[in-house]
Amino acid sequence: MTESFVHLHTHSRFSFGDGACDLDDLLARTCELGMSVCALTDHQGLYGAIRFYQKALSAGLTPIIGAEVAVESAAHAAFGEPVSFTPFRTGSGRAAGSGWHLTLLARDLTGYRNLCRLLSRMHVRSGDAPSIAGIEDLKALSEGIIALSGCRNGEAATAIRSGQTARARDALTVLASCFAPGDFYVELVHDLTPHAPRVINTLVSLADSLGLPIAATNNVHYVRREDARVHDVLSSAGARMRLPGPYDRPNSELWFKPAREMRELFAGLERACDETVRIAKRCELDLELGSFHFPGATLPAGETAYSVLSKLAWKGAERRYRPMTPEVLRRLEYELSVIGRLGFPEYFLVVNEIVEFAKGEGIRCSGRGSAGDSIVTYCLGITDADPIAHELLFERFLNPERRQMPDIDVDFDSARRDEVIDFIYRRFGDEHVAMVATVNTMTARSAVRTVARAFGHPPAGIDALSRYLPWVAASRIREALAEYPECRDHPLRNAEHSLLLDVVEQLDGCPMHLGTHLGGFIITREPIDTWMPLQWAAKGVVVSQYDKDDIEALGLVKMDILGLRMHSAISETLELARARTGPEGVPEPFELTPDDPAVYAKIARADTVGMFQLESSGQRNLSRRLAPTRFEDIIAQISLFRPGPLEAEMITPFIRRRHGIEPVEVPHPGMEEPLRDSYGVIVYQEQVLLVARAVAGFDLAEADSLRRAMTRGRSRAEMDSIRAHFIERACERGVGIETAEEVFRQLEGFAAYGFNKAHAACFAVVSYASAWLKTYYPAEFATAIMNNQPMGFYTPRHVVEDARAHGVEILPVHVNESLADYTVERDGRAMRVGFRDVRDMTQRLRDTIVAERSKRPFRDLADFLRRTRAESPATSALIRVGAFDGLGITAQDRTPTRDELIALLPELKAVLARDGVAGDDVLCLAPVPARPVEDPTHPSGWSSARRLSAELEVLGLSLTCHPLSLARQDLERREVVYARDLPLMPDGSKVRVCGVRERAQTPRTRSGRRTCFLTLEDATGLLDVVVFEDVLARVGDVIVKHRCYLVEGTLQNNSERGLAVIARSVEAYRIRTDGGQDVRLRHGVPSGPMGSSIGGAGAPEEDSWTIAS
Amino acid sequence: MGQNSAIRRYQSHPGGQGMDLFASKDGRLPIVVELLKSPWLFKGSDLLEEHDAGIGKKREAPVAVAWDERRARPAEFTLDARSYRIDEVVQVWAVERFWWDPRRRISRRVWRVLAKGGTYDLAYDRLLCRWMLVGIQD
Repeated sequence: MTESFVHLHTHSRFSFGDGACDLDDLLARTCELGMSVCALTDHQGLYGAIRFYQKALSAGLTPIIGAEVAVESAAHAAFGEPVSFTPFRTGSGRAAGSGWHLTLLARDLTGYRNLCRLLSRMHVRSGDAPSIAGIEDLKALSEGIIALSGCRNGEAATAIRSGQTARARDALTVLASCFAPGDFYVELVHDLTPHAPRVINTLVSLADSLGLPIAATNNVHYVRREDARVHDVLSSAGARMRLPGPYDRPNSELWFKPAREMRELFAGLERACDETVRIAKRCELDLELGSFHFPGATLPAGETAYSVLSKLAWKGAERRYRPMTPEVLRRLEYELSVIGRLGFPEYFLVVNEIVEFAKGEGIRCSGRGSAGDSIVTYCLGITDADPIAHELLFERFLNPERRQMPDIDVDFDSARRDEVIDFIYRRFGDEHVAMVATVNTMTARSAVRTVARAFGHPPAGIDALSRYLPWVAASRIREALAEYPECRDHPLRNAEHSLLLDVVEQLDGCPMHLGTHLGGFIITREPIDTWMPLQWAAKGVVVSQYDKDDIEALGLVKMDILGLRMHSAISETLELARARTGPEGVPEPFELTPDDPAVYAKIARADTVGMFQLESSGQRNLSRRLAPTRFEDIIAQISLFRPGPLEAEMITPFIRRRHGIEPVEVPHPGMEEPLRDSYGVIVYQEQVLLVARAVAGFDLAEADSLRRAMTRGRSRAEMDSIRAHFIERACERGVGIETAEEVFRQLEGFAAYGFNKAHAACFAVVSYASAWLKTYYPAEFATAIMNNQPMGFYTPRHVVEDARAHGVEILPVHVNESLADYTVERDGRAMRVGFRDVRDMTQRLRDTIVAERSKRPFRDLADFLRRTRAESPATSALIRVGAFDGLGITAQDRTPTRDELIALLPELKAVLARDGVAGDDVLCLAPVPARPVEDPTHPSGWSSARRLSAELEVLGLSLTCHPLSLARQDLERREVVYARDLPLMPDGSKVRVCGVRERAQTPRTRSGRRTCFLTLEDATGLLDVVVFEDVLARVGDVIVKHRCYLVEGTLQNNSERGLAVIARSVEAYRIRTDGGQDVRLRHGVPSGPMGSSIGGAGAPEEDSWTIAS
Repeated sequence: MGQNSAIRRYQSHPGGQGMDLFASKDGRLPIVVELLKSPWLFKGSDLLEEHDAGIGKKREAPVAVAWDERRARPAEFTLDARSYRIDEVVQVWAVERFWWDPRRRISRRVWRVLAKGGTYDLAYDRLLCRWMLVGIQD
């Protein structure tokens, strides 16, 4: 080591509010300055430690992992000295604590484990105990840890600044006693403030007198001096304050200074700089990345994990395969041998235990992902797609040539996922299980809000600055403001916000706070706090400070216990249907033979709203073009509408060849069989393996390595080397060089874009089940979908519209009929809206209504209020959506109108509040003035426009009718074409359509052009509109700011690209009834920025999507 | 950051100190510097407001400064037409505040120097690119 100084105290953005170093930038700067070691010491945790460790090693640097922790007062703990100062609160969220700073560095693996335990002990205490380290904790867990006495917020430095030198001495004495001799250093920080020299001199005097070594640091918080402003903004945001924020630092000197500057700062104290180099040499942490650590499986005496797994798999095979063929025997034997050789049986057993528990409890679950490529997982019942029947390849899941941690993802019934989680904690123990963290990072929108808040803008101003901003990275904010049409009049374009935008750009991707992964659990054999620091998550569970990539890097087992709402919906559909038809009336849809022509006909008609993976507008478009007739077609459909296949333009040749428009041609006859099902197009990753085997004689493991090597990011030289190897092997088998080159060209083109067939096959099982239920039990299926919202591609409003279009009568919410959830009525022909979607309804009120009604129905509003004590906002909402229509009687011997009920509500509440009761005949005794009746034919007295507006606002649904039904005459006058008529019109027709917004998406395109895929809905169904960049430049702001549009354009209606309107103009359309009343769409119809995910329909292949990263 | 050697060498007179504490300027300077840098001697005002700490009498005035390139420090300054040769740089600090507010922004590097028996705080304003006298301590 030729270092003259090592930065041992460095805060990255993972200090969450008190650090602005980007890890990549930090390490690049370390290299640039010729340093070979760098430490990371974030506040209260190791959040960024693993990625820092990996990145540093990749850059050829030596990483030192540590943390700056908050510690209780050493002087107070040991000598009972009064606590005269309250230290700053440091850390983020539930890991924040007010204590004196102490810098800790892991010297070795023991030190790392102790640091993890110390941090976990600090954070995971009972109740609201502060997240600070006790002196006793330090003493108990100091082995392998080197400590520095802390920055200016350390106890000693603070005491010196306040003139309490004796207290500083006491603090240093006590802290030093916690660590092994020679492991505690007095930290000197020269931050170029007026006080710094005095504090340093005193610390040096004390260190000398106590015989302690000294070490210089710069308490680095940003890489370069100019980054200080980002740091100030982050610290202000962390404390929810305006600038200068909680620290109010007097200068910007806490940057990553070169060694020369550090030595100049400490002129006369060179030994403090020398010591940093010695400390760095002492830190030799090796995290042993690359090895695997499995939790313990339950094994009977005398058995091994392998023997137990084998027995279970063979038993499962007997159940799954009747008769058991030689192919099954060979495959199962082979897979088990590979799993055993790679040392993974325990992992399979752990997953199996969890799945077995779920199935035993009747909790619907299914495996997904490449695990579906394994016959072992299929025999264990973890996955449901037969790998033999669907030609799924084990090597794609577990490559014997590469010992990588297998990843078996399982989806569980979302509504019962907690039961599975409880089981995991019970089975493995609280000390061995924690949830995986996620790190939430800033986008342009969140960065603008963060900076605007720090700059002191009022809440309304912050809203104005962030409203209508597209979903782009913060680094692209200026580009978006300049080019995106919806930003044409955006206030951020004013020159006065230039500084704000500068800071926003620098905050691109900045970690904001720690989140909790939706379903990721870590299970370890040893206590989990010896592997990683833990803390409480905001939602009250113990969460790791590491995210899924960190966990994978450590070689630990991560289980994704994902909640799939479609599983809940399927289970609930079955329950509702069986309640009507009897327990044996409906078969288990997962066990059906997927060969029902009615189901495939429904998919081919694009009647797929609610179906798993098949409902997006893009999938509906593909459904029509593909016209699936068998299960393999569903697998293909799921696979084709993905970023990779879309980018590689696979859909058009697939469709053309399927329908015989172009011949199926492959360059080598060996490719015919592997590509038979996809008409010679390489769609699946598994096919790449099969083709490589057929043409170049690769075994499947070699072929999978070839596939991985071909993925994007390879240099030209690497790809040339792979090509030469492939061609050489092919030529050895007698393949002509031109043919070999052509085959390789195709593999190269598709390998990176192909989809994992096993994943699609696992999903297809669920897709078929949902399609079958929608076909035969539409009311129950729609009801279950509504009861499990949010889910799927469409708004709840459209799900209800779709049910109505399928002949399901939609019954309104009513206090004497509805339950909390949606229910099925009239022998499966009607769906009743439940209370769950009524605004302002509380759980208490929902329960009370149902409980009271079971005694006797509500007679009128007064009776309702008296028995339920309902709050005014909820009651008003119920009145507005007609939940009291037909109840009560007025002096005119008729039921009261909604206006009369609304006017009466405050009076009744007042009477109830005063007397405790309200008479049933209040309406007769006290008629109230109300607006004149708009529609005497309806019991509500309201016009249909008003009823509909109320439904959209209160329920988010349109129960009265579709909003555009009320503007029929105007639409006809404008010669608007309805969605149902579009398929009948010829390709190229000029059309005018009108619809309310369902989705608006602008995924990135390969060409770089911005295209908006707009899914609209009119009174007859869905219609898809494509708005290309030139038109979008004119109408982008209209799309973002409105909810209903009048679109003119050209109809695209052909088998190659499907059905869509290519927009020429898009105008906002204000829905007004023929009588001149406005319909308000708020809440029921979305508006706002266009999303970035795929799903839109009608895209030409040459403008297809790239992977949205 | 020395070992206070000049203070230790100081010849005190326990029987009674004369009016002149120092026999010469050369004998006084190192002791003053050690006192100013000492960890155990500081002004009460230092404890009050950190940002103003050590500024002493506040006075802001433009000042001409001759820069010593070799030693990277000010060598001499001219104030009110009087020239002051800098005997010693006692301390250096930086001030960077209010970067988000153009009207209040401060970006300075401050040298506390000894000259002609007084302590002067000379600040180089990075925004205005000029020298200012920002404090005097007698």
